[in-house]
Formats: sequence, C-alpha cells, structure tokens
Amino acid sequence: MTDAIAPPVLSAASGEAIAVVNTALDRRGLERLDLLLLTVEALAINGGEVMLWATQQLGYESLFPNRVELWKRRCTNPLRRSTRRTALTGEEIEALIRVICAMADRLYPMLHQLLWSREPSALQDQRWAKFDQRLRDLIGERMNLRRGSVQRLLETESSSPVQRQMVITLALAAGAGGVDRLRASLQDPTP
Amino acid sequence: MFNLSYRYDQTAARLMVEGLPDISAGHGQGVIGILSSWKLQFVGSPELEGKREHLEAMLATVLPYARYLLSGVARPFGDADSPVSLAPADNGGHQLELRSSKPGVSPLTIALDDAELADLVRCLDAMRLDSRVQIAWADQRDRPLARRELAERVPLMKRLAPSVMGGSALLVVALLSALVPLPESKQPKQEVVPTESAESPGNAAQPVPKAE
Repeated sequence: MTDAIAPPVLSAASGEAIAVVNTALDRRGLERLDLLLLTVEALAINGGEVMLWATQQLGYESLFPNRVELWKRRCTNPLRRSTRRTALTGEEIEALIRVICAMADRLYPMLHQLLWSREPSALQDQRWAKFDQRLRDLIGERMNLRRGSVQRLLETESSSPVQRQMVITLALAAGAGGVDRLRASLQDPTP
Repeated sequence: MFNLSYRYDQTAARLMVEGLPDISAGHGQGVIGILSSWKLQFVGSPELEGKREHLEAMLATVLPYARYLLSGVARPFGDADSPVSLAPADNGGHQLELRSSKPGVSPLTIALDDAELADLVRCLDAMRLDSRVQIAWADQRDRPLARRELAERVPLMKRLAPSVMGGSALLVVALLSALVPLPESKQPKQEVVPTESAESPGNAAQPVPKAE
C-alpha cells in the first residue's frame, strides 16, 4: 500500500491557507487519481500542456516545475507502463486533486454535453465514440497492458460503464464543493 | 430594508435565493442572513419554491446523493416523510421528489439526467459556499465511505451469487451422496471347529457346534 500524509497546512494559489486534515491514498485511490487525469487529457485538446498550465495557475510551480516532474508524479500509478515506486506526498496528492477539479471546471461544458440526455442520440454516440477512442489511445500508450484491470479498461463491454463513471465523477468534482467531494471519494477503502 | 436576491445559473438549472441581512448577527449590507424564499427552475420543468427548511432538506438530500454517486454507489436519500427525496431511476437517471407541507397536495416528481443532477449540485454548492449567503446550514462534511456502503454498488444478486452457488452445490452433493446405497456390512463369521471328543481335556473353552 502506498500511503502518504499531508502536512497540516497547504498554500493555495490565492494565498489563503487551506487546512488539510489528512490526504492519504491507497493503491486504488492512486489508480483512480491517474485515471481521472488521463480522462481529462482525453477530453481536452492538448491536455498535457493545459494541465501544466493549470498547475501554474493554481500556484503549484514548486511541486511541478515542468512537464517531466508532473509526469513523474503521475507514474506512481501502479498500472503505468513505467511505474515509479516513490510515494506521493500528501501535498502532491492534494495538488493533483485540485488540478483535476480545476480542469473539470474548465471542461464542464463538455462534460455536460456528454451527460445531457436530451440531445439527439446520434450526436451523443458520436461524442462518446470520439472520447472513447482518445482514452483508449492514451491507455494503450501509457498503461501496462499485461495488467488485468488495464485490459478491462480496453474491453468494449466493461470500458463503457467505467468511462461514464469517470465523466460523472469529473462533473460532480467541478465547482465550489468538488474538491472535498473528490478527495473523500478517492479515500474510499478498497471494498 | 431591501430584500436581497442572488441567482446561481447553470445550463439546465437556476437557483434563486431571497432574504435579508441578519442585523443581530452583525451581517453587513449585501449579505443574506435570513432566507425568506428560494426558487429552483429546471429546463422544461415547473418552478419549485419553498422556505428555508425545504432548501435545507434539498441540501441534506442532494449533496450526500452526489457524494455517494461519485463513489459509484447509487442509493436513495430522503424517506417518504421527508420534504425532498432523490433516488436512482430505472432508466439510469435520477428521480427528485418534492412533498409539500400543505395537506392534500400530491408530491411533485422531476426526472433528472446526470447533467441536470450535476447542474443542481453546482448550484447548491455555489449557494452554500457563497460568502454573501451566511446561513448556518447543517454540516455537510464529505467523508470516505465505509466498506459496507461500497459493497452496495454491487447488485444484491451479484453479491449473493457466490454464497447461493456454494450452498446449492453443497446441497446437490449431499442429495446425491444420500442416493448412493450404503455397502453391506459384513460381520466376521465365527469359525466352527468340529471337535472329535467332548470329553477331551483342554477343550472346555472351544465353541460347541450348533445342532442343525
């Protein structure tokens, strides 16, 4: 298990102190965290660059000074093709959660379109197919395809509910109360 | 004193709150401390309105529902007596039910899809975290779910399937083994050794042959 404890106080972009009680994630939480970042990348054009820009906007340059450092942190996901054993600190976990929520807020119109059932189904299918293809490409490129859970993400039957759950998660993590909700969700125990 | 009104807009939902500053609590101008009414409008649905207790019930129902949904657990919140309840619908959406406190008014049901639910959650979040609305809402702290609660996301039949299958297999094996006839028990026969002379000494302990 990879656990990390955050320091009691984390600096935010606005300069105000945000009390962090305990941000620790187990293995499953780390997997979900990285999968959410991958989903953001699949949704955003030039997602990697936008994500780096978001970290700078949130004031996390010291944690993620460049794209390589951000990539190294994301490689703590055990499902990665080139996984790193170095554990994430609580501060890094908290920063990544906030980056996901900030990105979800920016991408909210797109998330809304994907989840909006009143649109014509042909248009919806087209949107989901595009998203599905981009996410599959990213998973195939970055994840260890020998792992069973990665293979399930690529199987047509089992991937669809997971993709929808990821999009719903991002939609509910966007907005003012999203950070607390997402943090608590990522800290769920493994059932 | 002027009635203050703030509006929170999303694509498919709009929440509006009206009220006054609570002077006794030291609220400045522009801060709602006493909520007089609220209105909620979804695209294509009738406008909902109510008082503070109804909005509190809405917060206490919708936000925990969203929290559980984030963890993949779709379970109903709000019972039959609650002014607001929210439950997963059969078509994969969500069913919001509002009950009036006035007698004789039947409950109003609104079907929401995932996008409308997300809009509603964003409106409620924006309102409860707005510094211009300083009302002591009930604590809505998000927390990790318990293992038992997470097990609910697996359908009951799927959860029970291994136990049922195991029990059934055991029962079948027990029934089949009951049908197999038991092997006859073979008692060791006592060997009869015929004696030539009953009077011969030392033969007192030998068995006496039965008369046929």
